[in-house]
This record gives sequence, C-alpha cells and structure tokens, in this order.
Amino acid sequence: MELSESVQKGFQMLADRGSFDSNAFTLLLRAAFQSLLDAQADEAVLDHPDLKHIDPVVLKHCHAAAATYILEAGKHRADKSTLSTYLEDCKFDRERIELFCTEYQNNKNSLEILLGSIGRSLPHITDVSWRLEYQIKTNQLHKMHRPAYLVTLSIQNTDSPSYPEISFSCSMEQLQDLVGKLKDASKSLERATQL
Amino acid sequence: MLLELSEEHKEHLAFLPQVDSAVVAEFGRIAVEFLRRGTNPKIYEGAARKLNVSSDTVQHGVEGLTYLLTESSKLMISELDFQDSVFVLGFSEELNKLLLQLYLDNRKEIRTILSELAPSLPSYHNLEWRLDVQLASRSLRQQIKPAVTIKLHLNQNGDHNTRVLQTDPATLLHLVQQLEQALEEMKTNHCRRVVRNIKTTKK
Repeated sequence: MELSESVQKGFQMLADRGSFDSNAFTLLLRAAFQSLLDAQADEAVLDHPDLKHIDPVVLKHCHAAAATYILEAGKHRADKSTLSTYLEDCKFDRERIELFCTEYQNNKNSLEILLGSIGRSLPHITDVSWRLEYQIKTNQLHKMHRPAYLVTLSIQNTDSPSYPEISFSCSMEQLQDLVGKLKDASKSLERATQL
Repeated sequence: MLLELSEEHKEHLAFLPQVDSAVVAEFGRIAVEFLRRGTNPKIYEGAARKLNVSSDTVQHGVEGLTYLLTESSKLMISELDFQDSVFVLGFSEELNKLLLQLYLDNRKEIRTILSELAPSLPSYHNLEWRLDVQLASRSLRQQIKPAVTIKLHLNQNGDHNTRVLQTDPATLLHLVQQLEQALEEMKTNHCRRVVRNIKTTKK
C-alpha cells in the first residue's frame, strides 16, 4: 500500500491525545467512514460541537488522511495485522488501534461493495420483458397466421444513459434457440461453481 | 375472393394473348426476377425489339403480370378464385392455365419477398456467450465476481449487427425463467383457441 507523507502526518496528529481526546477521535473516525459510505453524507459531517475546539485545518487534514487510508486498506483487503502495523508506526496507542480496527471491521462489507462497484463494465442486462403476438396480416401480405415474440432487454450502462433497452422480434423457433443457449450458459455456470 | 382488376390493368394484360405462350412464360420469369432483384429497363428494350412492339407495351405487360401475381400471392387466393378472376380477361384456355401455373409455382417465394416489406424491428439471429470471473479491478483487489458475457446477433433490413452485453448469474436465471414462460404461453388454451378461431375464419 502506498501512502503519502500527508497521510502519515494526519495520523500522527490523530494519535496525539493532546489534540484529539477519546471522544473527538471516535467522532472523527466515524465521520471519515460516514463521508465515504453514506450516500447522503454532506460537508457538515465535521460540524459536531465536540470537534469545534480543534483547528479546522487540522480537522480537515486528519479527516482526509483517515479517508485516504481507509480506501487504500479496503482496496488491498488489508487484514488486522497490516492495519495495526501501520497505525503503530503512526504512534497510535493500543486503545486507538483497537478502536480503528473495530470501526474498520464494522464497515468492511459496505466499503468493499462500494469499491467493487466502481469501474467500467459492459452494458449490463437487468431485466427482460416479452410480448407474444399473432400476426394476421400486413398491408403487403394477408393471411400470415404466425405467432411472433417481441423481447425487450433492459440495459444499465455505466458510460452513457443512452440505449436503456434493446428490443428485437423473434419467431417461436428463434426464441427456443435463444432460451436453449441461455440455459447452456447457466448450466455451465452451475458446473463451474461446483468445482 | 376474387381479384378486382382495374381497366388500366386489363389493358396492360391485353398484350399477353398477342404473343405465344413461350413469351408469356418468359415474361413471368422476368416478373419474378424483378421482384427478387429490382427492375432492369434494358430487358424491356431487348424484348421489344424482338417482338417488334414498343418497349412501353412490353413494360406494361410485365408490370401487369407482376401485379397480378403479387396481388394474388398477397391475398393467398385459392386456385378456383384465381381462375375466376382471370376468366374476365377473356383469354384462351391455354393462357389461363399458364397464368395459373405461374401463380402456383411462384406464390411461396413472392410471399416471402412481400413479408420483408413489413415494418420490422431488429430480429434475433444468434447468441454467443462466455463465462467470465472478475478477479480484480483498479479499485478493488482479490475479487471473485462471476459474469456472463453475451454477444447478441441481430438483423435489421438486411444489416447484421451485434451487441456485446453482460449479466450476472442471478439475472441470467431470471432471464431463462421469464423467457421459458413466454414459450409456454403459446401452448395455453387461450392462445390455442385464438389461433384456431382466426384460422377458421374464411373469406
């Protein structure tokens, strides 16, 4: 994990019981996690009355350091011993190391979900809807008498909001072909998970 | 159901008895070829010279024949109705037989060509799939994230295009379940009854 001097400095400040008493430490820590994980978190996350006595520049520095470290740790799936080692190097005492690790453990799942959802991917199929019709005639051709399906795939695209759906028509045979191939894929998936 | 032939149409077709049956058969072949590939005016000129008539006359004859064949195919009229419709033209027995044969021989293909003229959406052609497992990304290491990558081949108006898409295992199962239900629908009593009733409505 590569961490800058700024992060280390921020943590060293956070370790100092003179600047951050127990309450302030816990509040800042929680604020860091909240800013990252809570979709509705706003800038007022550091506006707690128990943090008012601390210099705002220091507060921001420590908050940023904590957030950066949390993200790096989450990205690399750091375990408790890795966390402890780094925090020790930043002069955290035992109690604060424990506090940090507990808070990290509590938020680990949400953190990993958040990080895992960042990134580009192919357009993702989220749903399908279908319509069955019986074609009787067109202005060019009477007495057609055949069933047809209209299938619409709902697509979620990370890049652009364009093309939210793909629609296509198919005959019964074609739909059978499509379903057959999808079933092959899902059987393959089942077999792969049993390996 | 009888075909209604306009006066103009009858005039154009009046050319046919004036040539012998081999020529009419040839016109029939040209008419179907034009339906397949599009018209070629040069053919009219060549035929006009050989028959010693104006190329307009040849064109009208072929077009009249084309229209006769496409309308009959579109409406899917029975042999009897076709014969009755053509009867009003006052052609010879031999010519009538020839026209009927032309109709029956080419009906299926003409209907296929006509079906391509309908408004259409992209239609399904093929599907390829692949199983992938994402192991890491820039923002998160040590992942195991299975996904199914799909290449959907669609046709529209002769153009072939493909879309590459992805889905997760849960959605894949959902897709299979939904589409199997769609297929089952055709076998229900409701659908069977509708199909039966539409088919038996004769005009």
